[in-house]
Amino acid sequence: MPIRPDLLQAQDRAWTSLGHPGTWWTGADRVAIAAETRHAASCPLCAARAEALSPAMVGGDHATLGSLPGAAVEAIHRIRTDSGRIGESWIDRLMAGGMDEARYVELVSVVAITIAIDTFRSAVGLEVLPLPPVHLGAPRPSRPVGVKRDLCWVSTLAPEDVGPDDPDIYLMRRDGPPQRSGANIQRALSLVPQAMLQWWDMLEVMYMPGPWMRDFTREYRAVSHAQIEMLAARVSALNRCIY
Amino acid sequence: MAGVMDGASEMRVPHATELLDFVAAALSFDPVRIAATRDAVLNTMGEPAMVDAAAVIAGFNGITRIADATGIPLEDFKAEQSENWRATLGINQFANTKS
Repeated sequence: MPIRPDLLQAQDRAWTSLGHPGTWWTGADRVAIAAETRHAASCPLCAARAEALSPAMVGGDHATLGSLPGAAVEAIHRIRTDSGRIGESWIDRLMAGGMDEARYVELVSVVAITIAIDTFRSAVGLEVLPLPPVHLGAPRPSRPVGVKRDLCWVSTLAPEDVGPDDPDIYLMRRDGPPQRSGANIQRALSLVPQAMLQWWDMLEVMYMPGPWMRDFTREYRAVSHAQIEMLAARVSALNRCIY
Repeated sequence: MAGVMDGASEMRVPHATELLDFVAAALSFDPVRIAATRDAVLNTMGEPAMVDAAAVIAGFNGITRIADATGIPLEDFKAEQSENWRATLGINQFANTKS
């Protein structure tokens, strides 16, 4: 089946990156997060919670692969199986239970990359990829100086607060107009620039870069702007996402 | 827009039925359901369209997790522009289930 080379390359880069040390997690941790993301789909506790009026009504333990701390397992399973009902109080409990905010943001990016690539491959009829090889090395913790917790439940780095030492996460330093507008959704992972770049560099190939999204004079994909937005909206509705 | 919410109402977008069925199947991870709906998209729209549709579906299956897991709010101007139809379609009710 012919698949755009840029699409396969973007997913390959993102998938390979999961095995490398991140900003806050080791490569082994990140691969474990990807594995746990897959495993969560068959967790009986998550299935029972998804059916309940409120997930908090159902107690018990997750069916876990066992290599990650409990707070990480709870985060992965909830994001994988019931993300639409996540509220701020759940995040607060997670943090009180030992999850660091920046480690959480990086975890979210790994979960999202895993879900996106697995969804794509299963949709087009390809086998899911084996977990990527682990590359040894320590994480390189760093936190952008200009981050603020003023937008959502985690701290973010607004375009105007990006410093000269920060990665070019909004692609403002390239020739031509900025590629990323700094829309709220683009800021979501900005506390961990490496995680943000790994996600958006892949997503923009799967979906569209911002300038293409706003250019209605031509079609850049084999599905039209209208069809793309309908697909995106339907996914959001099925996942009960309010953004 | 109702078709986006219920997956059944008529949409004035070409091949909406095939594409919306493909979305629901892809998110189910049910290989039999996926194969049937993928074939429907392939037969009506061709392979490049099926691949690009799958890529959009997959990308948004990831990004909705990011939005929900971080509590990213809708921009004020988007909320104002979409206020009426969000209420009509019941999207605002999603917020009431968060905990």
